[in-house]
Amino acid sequence: MLRLVLGRLASFVPTLFVASMVLFLAVNVVPGSAARSALGIHATPQALKRFEHQHGLDRPLAVQYVEWAGRALRGDFGTSFQNAVAVGPDVRKRIPVTLQLAGMAFLVAVAIAIPLGLVAGFRHQSGTDGVVTTLATLFGSTPNFWLATLLIYLFSLRLGWLPTGGYTPFSEDPVANLRGMLLPCIALGVVSSGLLIRIMRTAVIEVMFSNFIETARSKGVSNFRLLTAHVVRNALIPFFTVSAVEFGFLVGSVVIIEDVFRIPGIGSLVLVGIINRDYPVLLAAAMSVTVIVLIVNLLVDLAAQVIDPRQVHTGS
Amino acid sequence: MQLTRRAGLGLAAAAATALAFGVPGVATAQEGKAGGTLVAAFSADPGGFDPARGPSGMSHVVIEQVYSTLLNLDENAKPYAGIAESWSVADDGLSWTFTLRPGLTFHDGEALTAEDVVYSFERILDPDSGYAYRSQIETIDEVVALDDLNVQFNLNRVTGPFEIYMAFPGSSIVPKDLVESGWDLNAQPVGSGPFRFVSYTPRDSIVFERNDDYYEEGRPWFDGMVYRIISDPTALANGMKSGEIHFSNEVPPKDWNAITSQENMVDAAIEGSRYFWMVPNHERGELGNPLVRRAIAHALNRAAIVRGAFYGQATPILGGVIPQWNWGYADLEEFSPQGDIEKAKALLAEAGVAPGSPISLMMVSSWPPMMSMAPIIQANLSQIGFNATIETMEVPRYWDEVWGPSNFDLTVMYWLSPLADPDDFVTNTYATTSAVNVQKGGSQEMDDLMLAAKSAVTIEERKDLYRQQQQLSLDTMDVVPLVNGWVLTAHTDRLKNFKPMRTGFLKTLKDAWLE
Repeated sequence: MLRLVLGRLASFVPTLFVASMVLFLAVNVVPGSAARSALGIHATPQALKRFEHQHGLDRPLAVQYVEWAGRALRGDFGTSFQNAVAVGPDVRKRIPVTLQLAGMAFLVAVAIAIPLGLVAGFRHQSGTDGVVTTLATLFGSTPNFWLATLLIYLFSLRLGWLPTGGYTPFSEDPVANLRGMLLPCIALGVVSSGLLIRIMRTAVIEVMFSNFIETARSKGVSNFRLLTAHVVRNALIPFFTVSAVEFGFLVGSVVIIEDVFRIPGIGSLVLVGIINRDYPVLLAAAMSVTVIVLIVNLLVDLAAQVIDPRQVHTGS
Repeated sequence: MQLTRRAGLGLAAAAATALAFGVPGVATAQEGKAGGTLVAAFSADPGGFDPARGPSGMSHVVIEQVYSTLLNLDENAKPYAGIAESWSVADDGLSWTFTLRPGLTFHDGEALTAEDVVYSFERILDPDSGYAYRSQIETIDEVVALDDLNVQFNLNRVTGPFEIYMAFPGSSIVPKDLVESGWDLNAQPVGSGPFRFVSYTPRDSIVFERNDDYYEEGRPWFDGMVYRIISDPTALANGMKSGEIHFSNEVPPKDWNAITSQENMVDAAIEGSRYFWMVPNHERGELGNPLVRRAIAHALNRAAIVRGAFYGQATPILGGVIPQWNWGYADLEEFSPQGDIEKAKALLAEAGVAPGSPISLMMVSSWPPMMSMAPIIQANLSQIGFNATIETMEVPRYWDEVWGPSNFDLTVMYWLSPLADPDDFVTNTYATTSAVNVQKGGSQEMDDLMLAAKSAVTIEERKDLYRQQQQLSLDTMDVVPLVNGWVLTAHTDRLKNFKPMRTGFLKTLKDAWLE
């Protein structure tokens, strides 16, 4: 176990290194001027020059990268081109917000996917299976921002039960926090569940066709016991391994939902970073998403090992 | 309040301004209700809070709450006393003296004196400051502290809008000692305005608390304010509808009817200073010919643009770019709202442009009004014989590849004039030295007229010169005026005594209260 953890942590370094280089390069080769985006309509050639010099944008890309990476390693991500806000502390403040949003959305998705996928897989090729598979397709193909707009219209504007958006830290007011998070999590979770239902269904079908289920059946184990004692446990391992990828995807896909619900997370930072060519903001936000995804993958590997100790040496 | 002006140009200008607006400018001492936190919504992030950094309009609506200026502007853009309780100008119009209120303090408790005023202006006058509104202060030769309370500005040329400039957020007074100690005002602004800055979370909010030591007794009325930054127009509209947002002067035109038809909502749609113009590139073939530019200007159906791109919330510009509400307005009805295709065709024929000539219209893909007006403009251009195409680009690339290098046939631009002075509408767009002059147009005659209009002694002289400039601009048609957008303000009826400003500024919030 310890070897697995250490091995994984060691592989972080090259992964992060490569990711940061690719990101830095991508951000800088995309056409569009950071200086003009920051200075706008009145930018004189002198002002543009001064801006680019001040921010080191007039130096070779390799020099810029080394400088940026060196400071980033010490935890200094610079300040935003658009406003004087220090990027590092701002991003650190936003990570828990996005994690809570993605985490709760993931729970919603799992809560929908496990029972539905289980039923569909268990009653493989039945009418129920057809209904669930159709639902999964419907959920998965719904744009989350469209669903979000519908939810806001119904629950906020019509019924007045929940706020239309905004964010309150959990530590300040847990109830307000959860009320604000509910609609965005449902919007994200329902859409994510489309894929998760299918994964669960496939996992269940695979287990259902395995020899030990056949054996259990022939021994006269009841359907209920079969499900709870054998199918679920065995189907959950592949389910969680695959759906962890979906969690990583969720962290990256909160971009528009955060904007629609006015949630100050990483996603909205990525968006504004791209729109304004605000390189320090964009790099810090994208790097933090990368780190989160890497950590989640590590945790999933560990969890899978706890559930099924046979998968011992996967990481090392 | 004591106004100790010497007779002369300042008084004449003030009187004429007051006459033009028909309103006495002094803030009335009205009884309000103290307390509450105002939640206001805006669409964009500010670009820092240091007045000298030459930031954006969104920075200014923060700066004007945190800092003070020598003078303030009321809702009709008429100057009244700020931290200067009185001011006067010498007979030659070149020397202005301001007397500060005694006992002023910054939010850090330090006293605000004439030294801070001198420092604040020297700071933005420094050529290396990068101050974006330099043209406002370029006539200032020196700023001298006569004593703790009196400060004198010596100008090298009579400057018509000088009082307006002294009320501009960029002219805010900053604390000398604090700034010299290395304090970063851009991140943590400290001033002497009605509200103290508490925090800023990008893409989320700016938080203010009441300045208990503000020099105007009783004001501001709110305990605090929260500016919410909501970039998605639908999210902003939803927040207004549900009551979570008390106030916005950026109500999306598409949601205007839905929001203003709600109960308990007060609305004001006033013609503002956000105007749109089409930029013809004078260095692109036939567009160098004024006849062709005039033909295009006459072909456009501005009424259709108002309906199609602004949901009716704009005024077509039928003559020069100085709007009707401004005292510099020249009543030159050059265009008809629906356009005049026959006249346009005749002008084009006179210019000898062959039918079917290609022309391209470059638009920014993420600016809804421009995308909506593009097909209307394209249809109008086709009607007079151009083979018009629309091209689009995202903003950062547009700045870099289209606007900066003047790489377009036709494009459309807008800007919100932060001043209500006519100079601000014309110099930006038409001066040969302006960074905004990407049409590569202009002439010495035009520059001279604008300079003369800015430096004329009486308001009548200024008005006449702006009229001449406007006429010239229609003859040469350097740019094609389109429409003037409205400032769409809506707020809860619990907010009392709020007076919207045409520039979109919000200094008047200090006089409003929540019930």
